This record gives sequence, structure tokens and C-alpha cells, in this order.
Amino acid sequence: MVELKDVSVTYSSGVDALNHVSLKINDGDFAFVVGSSGAGKSTMIKLLLKEIDATEGKVMVNGYNLSKLRRKKIPELRRTIGIVFQDFRLIPSMTVYENIAFVLRVIDAPAKYIRKRVPYVISLVGLQAKTNSYPNELSGGEKQRVAIARALVNDPKLIIADEPTGNIDPELSYEIVDLLMGINSCGTTVLMVTHEHDLVRHFGGRIINIKDGQVVYDEIIGGADEG
Amino acid sequence: MKASGIKYLIGQGVDNIWKNRMMSFASFCVLLVSLLLVGLSVLAYYNVNTIIGGVEKKNEVIVYLEDGTTDPQLKQIGEDLRRLPNVTEVSFYSKEEAFESLKQSMADYEVLFDSLGDDNPLVDAYRIKVDNIDRIMDTIEQIRMFGHIYSIRAPYDFVNVLVQLRKILTWVMGAIIMAMVIVSMVIISNTTKASVYSRREEIQIMKYVGATDAFIRFPFFVEGMITGFFAGVLALGMTWLVYNALVSTLQNQSALLSIIGMGNIIQFSEIYIPVAACYVLGGALIGAMGSAVSTRKYINV
Repeated sequence: MVELKDVSVTYSSGVDALNHVSLKINDGDFAFVVGSSGAGKSTMIKLLLKEIDATEGKVMVNGYNLSKLRRKKIPELRRTIGIVFQDFRLIPSMTVYENIAFVLRVIDAPAKYIRKRVPYVISLVGLQAKTNSYPNELSGGEKQRVAIARALVNDPKLIIADEPTGNIDPELSYEIVDLLMGINSCGTTVLMVTHEHDLVRHFGGRIINIKDGQVVYDEIIGGADEG
Repeated sequence: MKASGIKYLIGQGVDNIWKNRMMSFASFCVLLVSLLLVGLSVLAYYNVNTIIGGVEKKNEVIVYLEDGTTDPQLKQIGEDLRRLPNVTEVSFYSKEEAFESLKQSMADYEVLFDSLGDDNPLVDAYRIKVDNIDRIMDTIEQIRMFGHIYSIRAPYDFVNVLVQLRKILTWVMGAIIMAMVIVSMVIISNTTKASVYSRREEIQIMKYVGATDAFIRFPFFVEGMITGFFAGVLALGMTWLVYNALVSTLQNQSALLSIIGMGNIIQFSEIYIPVAACYVLGGALIGAMGSAVSTRKYINV
């Protein structure tokens, strides 16, 4: 669960990135966060990952009160979150398998579990044939699938996807969102940040629109494919 | 952390060396040159210092005793001299020995000695050697306090030159070694920073997936340690070659050797264990610490 209560973020430069934002995303929800560049979307993600702290207000993520969370406990919080970046951020020197297995190694998972879990997650994103490929041998869509598999492998409570379709062909974007929705249907909360309104209109669901650091719209709409 | 986790992290450190081989090679070279610069400077200082020490030890102080000093008094003075903390060797040189030696060295003037008959104008003396030449003046002052001392002859000028030389050498070599250590540390730190910087994204990803600081730093630590270890091994080999080449060159310089004494040049075989330990452990430690410290900056994500 993600909950922001009257949260404001002011950068040291004096810029108000978020201004008294309150919202709640329940466990198992799927929400699109939309808004133009500089609206405050990235600040919100940084806040949820505790990369930055709120100047005001309370942030709760998966049961952690971030304003009270000590630095030492940040890895613990992040292990409950899977993150997918626009630029994939795969480790170039690692194969697809290693990139995904790496997350489990971070949490000191048993080798036997890693050997079982990683191929399973790779199969979920349909990349069995690319298991031993390096990131530079993959297309944009494939890289993003690896990133999704990496976010998923740790069985997180929440997946944050930051413009996951930003760097891939438009026709593949729908596949990526489909994949994220499939993950959500298994119970994982998904927060997808995007500025692609067509995509949002197509899928529908909960839309949170941020403008000038404030939530200006938070509604559930029907998707185009629902008729 | 489980043993498998540690094994994985060590494996990562080893893999990283190959995966980032250009940066690893750069770190290796910098470490090698730094170790060589510092190591050879220290060895040079150590040798020069030993040579000066050897020259110092050849110097003796002669304590002349008053004419008419009785045998028990002579014996007492000998014991008192031996008891002085800075005195390493005491040998008695009787006036008879001195007279014989003088006669032999002046054989052409036998007539002069004949005129003296049995009268021996010389006095008994003790020859002593001091341990620390810096404290020779204190030792002489202490000897002057004894009774029955006629005069003391010491190589004051020579001692002063040596003491000054050693002081200057210590300062100059100390400054050179310090400068080299500082320059080496700066270069190593920058090379490691460049190496870590080239992998900052990797570090960021690790942080985002919930890696602890220790988990991130450990492979860098292993990588730095291994690089440093091999730099130390090669530096040791190169030092051994250079050092032995220099020693054999010196061995052919008989004129120089007669001044400094061959025994004062330290053979590599006498010192290779501490030198090896310093190079290998020093290399591994500097490599490991350099990497571990440099990762800190990119960990705060």
C-alpha cells in the first residue's frame, strides 16, 4: 500500500516539486500516474524509494513510514518494491539470467531457489530464448521485459514503472502494459508513470494526473478495449 | 550472510577484474609504479643509512691516561668505560705497545729512539668504539669526569660531517618518500574513482533493488585487493631484479667499495621476506582500501 498524506517536497533550490499531495493506492491496485514533464512525477517516485525525503507530510510505503525510516533500513524497504525504468538500467556486463538472479543474490536467497525462480520469471516475460544474452544483444522491448522480470523476481508488493514504454516502439508499448496488468492481476500493486495519454485511454483504470506538484485528477475510467 | 553469498561476492570481484579489464589494468599499473617508487626509495634510504652507519662504526675514540696511573686504577677505568651505555668496544693499548708501534713506523729515525734509552715518553690508552655517533660528545663528557684522564682524541670533524650528512639525508629521503606516498595515494584514489565512476549505474541499480552498502562494496574491495596483490608481486620481482643489478654493479666498483665497505651493502636475500610482505600486503591493502573508500561517494542513492 502507498499512502501520501499532505506531502510537500521543496528542493534546496526553492522549487516546490510536490505541493500538499494526498493519495492512497491500495494493495492490488493498478494506477497510472500521468502529467507533463516537471509536473512532479519523478519526485513522487524518488519519494517512494526514499531517495529524497518529504519536506512536509507523511509517506507510507508497504507498511514503512518513510519519514521515520533510518538509512540502514532503506534496503529493506526497496526489497518490497520492484522498479522498472524508462532506460531499462540493466547491468551491461551481466546476461539476462544474471541481471535477474542478481536481485535474489542481493537478498541472500538460497542458490537452489535462485536456480528455480529465475527461469520461471524469464518464462513469464517470454524471454527463454534470450536467457544467456547480454543486454546489448536485445531489442528495446526485450530489455524492458528483462527489467520487468527483474522487478518481479523478488515477488515485491509494489511495482513502480517509470515511463516503461518511453524508449520502445509504440506497438510494443501495449505488450509491456499488458504484461504489467497481468502481474497486477496476480495481486501485485502496480504504479505506472507515463505521459502517453493514448496508452492510458486504451487501457483505462485509475488515472492520477499531477500538474505543478498537485493532484488535479484522480478517477477511474473505462478503457477503449472495454468498448 | 550465507557462505554462498560471500562466495558469490568474491566471484563477482574476480569477474569484475576481467569485465573492467582496462580500468583494472590502469589501477594495476598505478599501484605497481607507486609501490616501486616508494619501495625503491625506502631501500635506497635503508642502504645509504647502513653505509653511513658502517663508516661511523669504524671511528674510534682514544682515551689517554695520565702517566703514573696504577694498574688497579687502569683496570677500574677500563670497567667504567665498559659500563658507559654508548660504548660498544673497549680495548687497552699499553704505552709499551704504542712505543713499539711508533718505533716500527719511524724505523729510519732509530737514532732518536736510541737516545731515549729505556724512557718511554708515551702514555697508556684505551681505544673505544661508540654505538651512536650522535651521542659521542655526551660520551666524551662522561669520560672526562673519570679520574686520571690525560686527554681524549676523537674524530670530531668527521663525526660532525657524518651526523649532518645523516640528518640531511633523513630529511631529504623522508621528504621524497612522503611526496611519493602522497602522489601515489592521489593517483590510486583517482584511478579507483574513475573505475568506480564507470560503474556508477551498476551501483545505482544495486541500490534500487535493495542491496546493502556492504554488499555493493565487497566485490570492489575484493577486486582492489586482488589487483593490489598482483601489483605487489610484480613490484617485488622488479625490485629484486633492479636491486641485484645495482648490487652487482657496485661489486665491480672496487674503489667505491673500499670506502663504503661491501659488508655494508644489504643483499636482497637478507631482506626479501620483509620486502615481500610489505609489497604484497601493502599492495593488497592499498588496492582494497582505495576501492572501498571510492565507492562510498556513489553509494548514497
